[in-house]
Amino acid sequence: MVRMGEHAFSGRAGDVLVSLGLGSCIGLALLDRRASVAGLAHVVLPAAEGREGAPAKFADTAVPALLDAVVGLGARRSRVDAVLVGGASMFSFGGGGLDVGQRNDAAVREELARLRIPIAAAETGGSTGRTVRVDVEHGIVTSRAAGDVEVALYPKTPVAA
Amino acid sequence: MSTQFTELQLDALRELANIGSGTASTALSSMLGRSVDISVPTAEALPFADAVDAIGPAERVVTGVVIGVHGDMAATVLLLLGESDAATLCGLLGVDPADELAASALGEIGNIVGASYVNALSAMTGLTLEPEPPQSATDMLAAIVATVLAGRAAADDIALVLDSDLRVEGEDCSMSFLLVPSHGGVQELLTRLGLGD
Repeated sequence: MVRMGEHAFSGRAGDVLVSLGLGSCIGLALLDRRASVAGLAHVVLPAAEGREGAPAKFADTAVPALLDAVVGLGARRSRVDAVLVGGASMFSFGGGGLDVGQRNDAAVREELARLRIPIAAAETGGSTGRTVRVDVEHGIVTSRAAGDVEVALYPKTPVAA
Repeated sequence: MSTQFTELQLDALRELANIGSGTASTALSSMLGRSVDISVPTAEALPFADAVDAIGPAERVVTGVVIGVHGDMAATVLLLLGESDAATLCGLLGVDPADELAASALGEIGNIVGASYVNALSAMTGLTLEPEPPQSATDMLAAIVATVLAGRAAADDIALVLDSDLRVEGEDCSMSFLLVPSHGGVQELLTRLGLGD
């Protein structure tokens, strides 16, 4: 269970990393399918702006922290794929500018581009909350919106488990 | 700035929430023509993740009516209703829950109840508080609550959540009423109560 501002990573068969009910937050999964290693961060805000202590909470610190974590478990950096879920615009708060969901999405994508991690799949934006599940052993990522069925996001072509 | 509150400060905030929700329940009661009971509110200062857990099961589908507050204090008032509670409330208002009007009717309830809550706070503290138009969404509880926390308590790890329950007498219908001030807003509230740091 990966709650708001937290992250988790694993290389253990049978482990499933889950973030329930992502709204404007982003569930960022980094996976190396061949090494059966995966990590999931529950990103809340776009930029840490010098704040320390909770790297997974901010897009700019979450991406490198999670990458280090999965590499530490044996993932090969060149094989790591990213999957993004969340970043919905649930409410448009007064006070101009883009909303938190869109800014989170953009910030995570920018950081992934900087670190040259390809985005293999994404289900971001829109106006509904989502739950993300990452099956560590098989490298499968699924997403589910409220009142909807679970859909496979990654890998693109379903593989036999 | 300390992110922890003393018991005395939490008591004072709870009392504010109590008077605010009392006023709100009167507004709701006169709208529905039913009496409305309120619970003793809880005031908790919790890390983000714990705050979401404390409010309810993450994937439970709820309707949230969000009212932004600006002025001397930035805050968000959030009214949460379970699916059946929202349907009952629509029924009491004579609106079909499946109808497009339902969201607007619930938004209006949120508006009147939320505005009376905010006005009560304003009258008690002398702060000028302006409620914004309500917005409603039906979605997973965690998605709604986390979005409000992210938008409001932005820079802090700790969210202050003042939670009151309103229950419509004679109906199986209750709603949860949350006030989520920004961190600076909490200090402002406490200062006005003579309990600032």
